[in-house]
Amino acid sequence: MAGDTDRLRRLADQAVVCGVGESAYGRRLGRSAIDLAADAIQAAVADAGLTKGDIDGMAVTFGSPLGADADTLAFALGLELKAYNQTWAHGRFTGTALQWAAMTVAAGLADVVACLAAVSFTGVRRLRVGGGGDREGAREGGGGHGEDPVYGMTSPGAGAALMARKYMARHGATAEDLAAVPISLRHNATLNPLAMYSEPLTLQAYLGARHVAEPLRIFDYCQVNDGAACVLVTTPERAADLAQPPVYLGGMQGLPAGRHEFIWAYPGFGTAQQIETDWTPGPQPVHRMAGVTPADIDAFFTYDAFSPLVWLALERWGFCGIGEVWQFTADGRIQVGGELPVNTNGGLLSEAHIMAWNHQVEIVRQLRGQCGERQVAGAEVIQWGNVYGDSLIYHR
Amino acid sequence: MSDYLKPLPPITNLSKPYWDSLQEGALRMPQCQACSLIFYPPAPLCPGCWSRDLTWAALSGRGTVNSWVVFHQAYLKGYDNEVPFNVTEVTLDEGPRLMTNLVGIDNDDIRVDMPVQVVFDAVTDEVTLAKFAPLPGWSPEGGTP
Repeated sequence: MAGDTDRLRRLADQAVVCGVGESAYGRRLGRSAIDLAADAIQAAVADAGLTKGDIDGMAVTFGSPLGADADTLAFALGLELKAYNQTWAHGRFTGTALQWAAMTVAAGLADVVACLAAVSFTGVRRLRVGGGGDREGAREGGGGHGEDPVYGMTSPGAGAALMARKYMARHGATAEDLAAVPISLRHNATLNPLAMYSEPLTLQAYLGARHVAEPLRIFDYCQVNDGAACVLVTTPERAADLAQPPVYLGGMQGLPAGRHEFIWAYPGFGTAQQIETDWTPGPQPVHRMAGVTPADIDAFFTYDAFSPLVWLALERWGFCGIGEVWQFTADGRIQVGGELPVNTNGGLLSEAHIMAWNHQVEIVRQLRGQCGERQVAGAEVIQWGNVYGDSLIYHR
Repeated sequence: MSDYLKPLPPITNLSKPYWDSLQEGALRMPQCQACSLIFYPPAPLCPGCWSRDLTWAALSGRGTVNSWVVFHQAYLKGYDNEVPFNVTEVTLDEGPRLMTNLVGIDNDDIRVDMPVQVVFDAVTDEVTLAKFAPLPGWSPEGGTP
């Protein structure tokens, strides 16, 4: 075990974020994904005090048809890249891209890697995630989120609803309890001028809203929008004389797959073909690598495409016991000002759905102390951790 | 020409014996001859031990509800007049889980862990789907007598 920790620690603090930026966020902006990506990259470069020629690496997590591909971006922006990488068009690869960028700069394959996604969800005529164009659900063995259109099971949100129903039945939680997640994140969004939705959400309004895939209501679903956000990763040495204080990538944990995993549940929960076991999360590799425990985390950020994902992520990363999170998220505990602020930007639920690159931008600004009204006082250590099992620990 | 509008399964060489079994009024899934694991979806080799010595085992058709959702929005062709409809995940007694629809029950009466059994729904001349119904005698209040 000590040997494992030594190996993990080799990459700790070998990469930093030196710049962040975003485009406008909104519906039907009437601008292409490349156009939006350019805004985000230019803003991040300016934030860092760099220039165009300094960008020599790129990691994109969401390409065409709803986003912009890395090679196309390099051409359109006139970049000369030494290394680029692009993952499948899904939200879950944000951490993977940042980990690749950290390894790339630490190994000297590139100096400054622009990590980003641009999305144009409303710029295409038909949403192709779920619904009539559910090619992924129709693939052999079904879709990764539990989709099986033959039985009407389409859209990733339905997979999250399946998991939420099971969780509620097993642990006695209710829709009223789940409401605390979108209500808390909406509260955070009221403090964020960039957020698409900043009207407070009441329990009455939540419960009165229509179901989509029951037990989930419309407020349990993320935004569908256009926009881009970018994070620049470099080495601590390169960052030393740049415009912003560096934010370190202190811990990492890769994206797992296998028969203990279902994208919307922790290991052993027993959804889709996932093996059902009694799983108790202890300290995870990301904690050992960063030399911290869950008690040291000042704020937590997670992929909140659907509100139940926040619940199971909090349990997976050890902030409360298995079966307890519906009590943990009550009483404003995950709001700005609460015991563990979660997604202080308002998240995918209320700020915007930029594949959670907007969350990475917010984490960096929190650690620089640039978040104004929603600043987490004295924030030093922030975790990005997902229900699907990957994580990053950032620190000042 | 079928008037069935809902999506039909992609039937591949790998999955054809499964769909054929439903056409014949049976539920068969791949079983490893080396380690006995019954698994789904079909794969070219056993995910337990990598043996390629596979056969198709007839299952009991019995299982329990693992979880379910009720769609209130019609995303797919053929569902406009069906909302609200359930999509249910059944854990078969032999282990694998199947996405399906429960029939012969009100959506409000579905419960986690309720016992169910397969029924065969020939939706077209070529395709029969495995759907599930409550085990006879089961009720949401009283369970199974």
